[in-house]
Amino acid sequence: QNTIKWRMQTYAGASLAAEVIVPAIDMFNKIAGDRMQIELFFADQLVPTGELFQAMQRGTIDAVQSDDDSMASPTEVTVFGGYFPFASRYSLDVPVLFNKYGLNEIWDEEYSKVGVKHISAGAWDPCHFATKDPIRSLEDLKGKRIFTFPTAGRFLSQFGVVPVNLPWEDIEVAVQTGELDGIAWSGITEDYTVGWADVTNYFLTNNISGAWAGSFFANMERWNELPEDLQTLFRVCCDQSHYYRQWWYWGGEADLRVNGPKMELTSIPDEEWATVESAAFEFWEEIAAESETKRRVVDIIKKYNADMVKAGRPYRYG
Amino acid sequence: MSYELIATLMFSSMMLMLLTGQRVFGAIGFIAVVAALLLWGDRGGFDIGFSAAMKLMKWYPLLTLPMFIFMGYVLSESKIADDLYKMFHVWMGGLRGGLAIGTIGLMVLISAMNGLSVAGMAIGSTIALPELLKRGYDKRMVTGVIQAGSSLGILVPPSVVLVLYAMIARQPVGQLWLAGVVPGLMMAAMFVAYIVIRCWMNPVLGPVLDASARDIPRAEKLRLLRAGLLPLIIFAAMMVPFVKGWTSLVESSAIGAIAAFMAAVIKGRMTREVFEKSVRNTLGITCMFMWIILAALAFGAVFDGLGAVKAIDSLFTERLNLNPWMILILMQLSFILMGTFLDDTAMLVIVAPLYVPLVGALGFDLVWYGILYTITCQIAYMTPPFGYNLFLMRAMAPPEISLRDIYSSITPFVLVMVLALVLVMAFPQLALWLPEKIYGN
Amino acid sequence: MFRVMQGYIRAVDAVNHRIGRMAMYGIFVLMGILLWSSISKTFFVPSLWTLEMAQFVMVAYYILGGPYSIQMGTNVRMDLLYGEWSTRRKAQFDLLTVLFLIFYLCVLLYGAVSSTAYSLGYWGSAPFSFFGGLITGTEEIGTMERASSAWRPYMWPIKSVMILGMFLMLLQCISELFKDVLRLRDEAN
Ligand code: NA
Ligand code: NA
Repeated sequence: QNTIKWRMQTYAGASLAAEVIVPAIDMFNKIAGDRMQIELFFADQLVPTGELFQAMQRGTIDAVQSDDDSMASPTEVTVFGGYFPFASRYSLDVPVLFNKYGLNEIWDEEYSKVGVKHISAGAWDPCHFATKDPIRSLEDLKGKRIFTFPTAGRFLSQFGVVPVNLPWEDIEVAVQTGELDGIAWSGITEDYTVGWADVTNYFLTNNISGAWAGSFFANMERWNELPEDLQTLFRVCCDQSHYYRQWWYWGGEADLRVNGPKMELTSIPDEEWATVESAAFEFWEEIAAESETKRRVVDIIKKYNADMVKAGRPYRYG
Repeated sequence: MSYELIATLMFSSMMLMLLTGQRVFGAIGFIAVVAALLLWGDRGGFDIGFSAAMKLMKWYPLLTLPMFIFMGYVLSESKIADDLYKMFHVWMGGLRGGLAIGTIGLMVLISAMNGLSVAGMAIGSTIALPELLKRGYDKRMVTGVIQAGSSLGILVPPSVVLVLYAMIARQPVGQLWLAGVVPGLMMAAMFVAYIVIRCWMNPVLGPVLDASARDIPRAEKLRLLRAGLLPLIIFAAMMVPFVKGWTSLVESSAIGAIAAFMAAVIKGRMTREVFEKSVRNTLGITCMFMWIILAALAFGAVFDGLGAVKAIDSLFTERLNLNPWMILILMQLSFILMGTFLDDTAMLVIVAPLYVPLVGALGFDLVWYGILYTITCQIAYMTPPFGYNLFLMRAMAPPEISLRDIYSSITPFVLVMVLALVLVMAFPQLALWLPEKIYGN
Repeated sequence: MFRVMQGYIRAVDAVNHRIGRMAMYGIFVLMGILLWSSISKTFFVPSLWTLEMAQFVMVAYYILGGPYSIQMGTNVRMDLLYGEWSTRRKAQFDLLTVLFLIFYLCVLLYGAVSSTAYSLGYWGSAPFSFFGGLITGTEEIGTMERASSAWRPYMWPIKSVMILGMFLMLLQCISELFKDVLRLRDEAN
């Protein structure tokens, strides 16, 4: 019997992947043994992230871990991957939105249309600014060249931020060579893990989203070829990866804010930050107007957030 | 077939194909796509070549490549270096081997104004070499001086090789460039020491200039000294805003190219012919590099797909069971060996990604290793049968210099470079002191 | 037969020469963009588009300039053995080895065509028939790929330039092949 071999590429670079995906894949390989082995590649290693989706459709890559936004998948739901501004406050919001509020079904429809299997979505960390110079007001954002997600960049540009898109692995160097003034891509855990804390000085405690949303995908044909038990095993290992990230980020964020030695914390006052939040609600409407599917997703996000506000503490304070 | 065997096959067939004298990028690209097709078939075998082009597009620091090449051509074609050469000629002519020493000085200044060794080779072999031969200097020594001196172009900032290395090792270009300064100057000093010792032992190699040729009024001598300002101005226009963080790397390279262009215009040297040659040659050399890197990236992606990094890692650490320093030395030796007969740029793109992660994992500083790496490249550029400096020398040297002269001229200088390599290995502070001082906070 | 080859060589070399000469001045476009980038950053708000635009210009520069660089002979070869050979020997070997190069370029071109088809919203595995279908009207343009940046440029223009450049490179290499055939014929006479 031949061992099934898959090539999988993650959008994370090696240092981050060591936490957020390597353990899950090692686990899968250990359990599947001679039946199936997954070779894992890091950001831009086999194909550049911009080509990741095509590569998966054609089978150059069998499976992918990424958000929809940064790999620019050609679907109606792409803008909601990564950091859709203010859509979620905590990392648990993402699995609830997908599993309980119906996003899974929409994602499944959308990806089936383009020949890709959407396996499951999970959350990463919140989206904060890490910059060379301090940000203490919205004024400080003006003219900053920031590495961020495409949709987040579109949203932030109304505040004078200049979004720059570069290969993930080049960010640290780009900050040093002056191509970038900062990063709005992650929380503080990631800033420390991947080395960005070494090249920036300040961390803004306000975030534009409480949790990244991203997924595991597979080439549809490859997925259908797998026997059911291996499909199940793959799903279990994806869930394990989602779970690992829940505690790793949640604990990491608090710990490094309090004990991290490399970055100074700054904040924009709540009243001022409220203008960003209300701009986000306008942005939602703008996006919803683009298509029927986007409208459905935005409605779900609105319903969910309204429910959370009504539920009160500990879901929402104030 | 095991992956290691496939990787070995790919590498050896690439070398065989290179021996047939075909265009380097064709040989490498062919092996890459054939290997991809055999391994992956229609599951992506067809895409690996082109996705390398998309990856290459995203390598933004390569935007500096045409800029530095253009800068070099403007400097060499417009002959604004003539005055520089005269300056060294007049000031150094009275010493034994003085003109050769002056040529090294000239090469250092030219290195500070361009990122490759092409400009140094062109200026050295068209301006300095005929003059040195006319003055009775030993042809082998001076041929070596120009090849070795111009190779400083990739060690003294700005440096295209260090930009490429920075891309692969994900290290900051600014620090790498600064790290090259002290080793570059040290190596220049070692070349000078070699010349002084040889000429002191055997004055025939580098005769003192006649008194008549040196009889130049003091005012004129001082006026020539001003020629040395030009490279400093161009260097500063480019490097100061970059190190200060006012402009980014690629913007700085454009400023450097524009500064060199303006300097030629102001000095009245930017004729139609100079313009044509600089612009055309920039395209030619840029295309050569880019197409080779394009092919080598595809080759590297297949290599990566085979897990060659893990294989190299386990070969050095587990199977050979060596300590970190032994591994490092073995790597440099294998580089020098491969560099003798492989294309140097392709080698950088294919082999560096295999070695760099291991060097990092062994706990060595990757900025420091970048300098070791560049010195090894300098050696590779000069060692036959394959080396850009050798090619250029053959193309540009006057007829009385034979191929045999070119080949034998490099031996002492390669030995000096190996000595420099050993020194930087033994004393990492030679490379790391300056970047730590400037970026220290 | 040889007549046709000569005609082909003349035509292809002339076209590639002109296109290469135009691409050659791309260096100044590149300089202009990067200069504007530093000026706008220093004095105004940094521009969104400069880095990506510079990347596109660089791609056009080296891919469209490629065939001209082949004409100029700037692509290095390892000449340990090659350098010593006679013209005839060189032509014989080139005749064979240029086929490898042509093969590589065909695969490259195929990749470019299928990636461009993707950028026009085609997700199947027969890109050539997609372009055929576009002409006959049986296929239509779907979701067009955009770069994942805030500027979000469409990707099909630069990918089309790459198709053009790689195609011209292929034509140039076939021209080199014909030149070797003619060289061998001249030697034989
Ligand atoms: Na240099
Ligand atoms: Na060599």
